[in-house]
Amino acid sequence: MKNEKRWPGLGFVIEYSPPATKSKEVDQLIDEKFMGKKYEASDTYDICRMKIREYANSLGDLNPLYVDRKAAEASEFGRVVAPPTFAVVCGGEPAGRMLMDGELKLNLPMLVHGEQDIEFFEVIGQGDEISSEGEITEIYQKKNLDFISITVESKNQHGKLVAKAKYTFVVRGGG
Amino acid sequence: MKKAVDVKVGDEFKLEKHVNKYMPIHYAGAGGDFNPIHIDAEFGKKVGLGGNILQGLGTYAFASQTCVDWAGNPKALKRLKVRFASPVRPGDTVIVTGKVVEINGNRVKAELAAVNDKGDVILTNALAEFELE
Repeated sequence: MKNEKRWPGLGFVIEYSPPATKSKEVDQLIDEKFMGKKYEASDTYDICRMKIREYANSLGDLNPLYVDRKAAEASEFGRVVAPPTFAVVCGGEPAGRMLMDGELKLNLPMLVHGEQDIEFFEVIGQGDEISSEGEITEIYQKKNLDFISITVESKNQHGKLVAKAKYTFVVRGGG
Repeated sequence: MKKAVDVKVGDEFKLEKHVNKYMPIHYAGAGGDFNPIHIDAEFGKKVGLGGNILQGLGTYAFASQTCVDWAGNPKALKRLKVRFASPVRPGDTVIVTGKVVEINGNRVKAELAAVNDKGDVILTNALAEFELE
């Protein structure tokens, strides 16, 4: 399925060209001129109970606050809440957009996730509407590896910062 | 939620997570990362990974669960930082351990580590910060 035929958002299918072979284009460093480039989510991410359950189930994290409506509603939160790391689902689109940005010429088949660092400010959960914006905050090379980081800030419907997430990706075989 | 007064520097905690064959596919659907290196073993082999690997953010979620289970409340976790050292594969069991290294009022820091059942180091430079009761 072509990405163009999908509404923008998470869950896009990445279409790759064949695995990289040595060529000028794939060997080049990530251009530092892209520092500061911003990527905004296409829409608010509206968190629903069943998506939280799907996420928790996929990881086998069956905390009743995430999956058991009655228990969650009786808790201090009064609603189903999401695991802290759900921040990468409701706030992940800017990172996905950066990876898919043709201008950066990232060698996706050779790209792996290097580091992840999230600061959590508010518990997120059912009913929250999350807006996210990301910015490229690091581009550097170390020992044949290219590093690129995007820092995504996610706010809820009240304008409160809920999470600040830094994703660092590494492209193997840079030179 | 755990009380800071009940925690001592050196306290340890641990969680084991088994990665079944289909977890990367379930996680792709739930989390939105359909990179073929996670869901297509053949593709993973072609790019030198020896098969498909679990999404790094899946492993990150294991570390987070380890922290939340220990602290007893998701709101206690304030920061989680990890470096992905080697990939997690379907069939692996990941063992995440934490150790309290600093207590400042109700703010607690713990160093984390993760290995798989084959002894490969999965996470390094991993740190969690908590705000306990």
